[in-house]
Amino acid sequence: MSRSRPPDGETNSTSTLPEQPGVLVVRKHHLLVRWSHWLNVPILLGLILSGISIYWASPIYQHKPDPNTGNFDVAADIGIWICAHVPGQHHYSSPPDWIYNHMSLGPGMLALGLRLHWLCAYLFMLNGTVYVVGLVIGGGWRSLLPRRTDLLDALRMFRYYVGFPFAKLARGKWPHPLFNTKYNALQRTAYFSVPVAGFFSVATGWAIHKPMQLHWLAALFGGYNAVRVWHFWLMWIYILFVVPHVILVFADGWDTLRSMIVGWSTRVERTEVVPNEQ
Amino acid sequence: MNNEERDDSLQGRDTPSTGMGPEVKSVSMNKPQQSFFGERPLPAIETAPRPLRYQSRRDFLVFGAGALTAIAGAGFLLPQDTLNRFGVRRNMDSPGKEWFLNQALRIDDDVAGALYSVNRTVPTYTKSQITPLKNNYNGSTPDPGYIPGWKLTLDGLASGLSISLDIRNLLTRFSVHEQITRLVCVEGWSAIAWWAGLRFDDLLRAYPSISQAKWARVESSVNLDASGNPDPYFMSLDLATARHPQTLLATHFSGQPLTLDHGAPLRLLVPVKLGLKNVKAVTRITYSAEEPPDYWAERGYSRYDGI
Repeated sequence: MSRSRPPDGETNSTSTLPEQPGVLVVRKHHLLVRWSHWLNVPILLGLILSGISIYWASPIYQHKPDPNTGNFDVAADIGIWICAHVPGQHHYSSPPDWIYNHMSLGPGMLALGLRLHWLCAYLFMLNGTVYVVGLVIGGGWRSLLPRRTDLLDALRMFRYYVGFPFAKLARGKWPHPLFNTKYNALQRTAYFSVPVAGFFSVATGWAIHKPMQLHWLAALFGGYNAVRVWHFWLMWIYILFVVPHVILVFADGWDTLRSMIVGWSTRVERTEVVPNEQ
Repeated sequence: MNNEERDDSLQGRDTPSTGMGPEVKSVSMNKPQQSFFGERPLPAIETAPRPLRYQSRRDFLVFGAGALTAIAGAGFLLPQDTLNRFGVRRNMDSPGKEWFLNQALRIDDDVAGALYSVNRTVPTYTKSQITPLKNNYNGSTPDPGYIPGWKLTLDGLASGLSISLDIRNLLTRFSVHEQITRLVCVEGWSAIAWWAGLRFDDLLRAYPSISQAKWARVESSVNLDASGNPDPYFMSLDLATARHPQTLLATHFSGQPLTLDHGAPLRLLVPVKLGLKNVKAVTRITYSAEEPPDYWAERGYSRYDGI
């Protein structure tokens, strides 16, 4: 009773081309989900780069101006610290601008930052809509819904991922927690949270953008000043999500990465076979 | 035989796949009855490898083309300084870039225009909620010498005349309204302040504009640039916004006549617009049918600035 996928060389008696060996694949991601997934890469990058340029004009995290430098921006302090302590950055020409030169379009680019931010924000809303439509048409939304058991299972997966490199180094056994769903609980939590964060980023963005006409929206988040803080920290969800997301997709293998491009996967465990529609 | 092998490899199946149709039941989940929100098993499809290969190749080419388009788009849209930092030495500036970004800005302005309603007022606050308001002259506060001879000039009136009013005319002819509202700067900071002044709408009623007028050009001739040289400030304001009941020509700040810092003796206070439309020390208002130029729109900001 092996649970492995059928050998590729197996003769396929149901194929329309009897001489061709059949391949068993599962439909994993709808076309619209795949497109909107990849479009998020340039759009979110544009939003973050322009967003930090906008942040530069009036940082949320400020302190009393330094008597020597006049600096009041915590992000500039971090840049100064980096240039003082990180090897290779000691001769950086403008330490207070380090963060803005590395994580944004650059300092002093408010007008352009705003224009790019609006452009990317409208594309982001459009793309988010396409994603949701793809989830509904493809039925993928059901795989993303949180379950009651998710908290414990997600912790189990987290423990697995954290312990994995050590177990490999020690050449010990480190079994993957079992699950019989499309995603494990940690994936599900992450893939569910990111669109939710997207929704809140859009809502807080509108609250900052139209604080008078949509003042009720800012009030929901605790007022205009608070909503700017919300919007700033929501950005970190994407950054904190993307890093393990990219590491894990490469760790998981080619099939997972390919499935987000072609839509199908050859991992047919835990699935049912339906007849070929072609 | 092959079907049986496959069935062995897929636990939980009780019907041999004939590959032909509806008799195949979904049995791979524990519960036979699916709730609406319950996850469905992914349908596995048996397919010939060659069409699958063609389809995959097509998908990779299309997505690859999409990735190249995104990179080209970034090169087209990003500012030259940013590209330089990424090691792009070639000049990527093009007139198309400005045009494209301006189109995006116009869409956003249209959205802002659609959100505006003359009947929707902005939130007002109590005196205990007032916050400090910084003088955004950025060190280039003008010389107060202009104040004694200050006059407000109105042009583009239905009467065809050019009217000049001093502060005493304005304060005696019009009723004064008070409001504590938030002033929001394009930079992101904001301040809640207590203002008083006459309604722009009242001024428009007393001195009607030409009938086809849709815009007001609001000017301050007492503005200075960062190095302290004269830098006349001009701004476009749509008359729909000028008629908003909370759009004031403010004469008082925190219960006192406006100080030099806040645009003595008269400033525009238009809380439904960004701070940059709230011109200090207004010297001239000109009504027109055509949209007048705008100081900050010429510097890459939006023209409408409705918030």
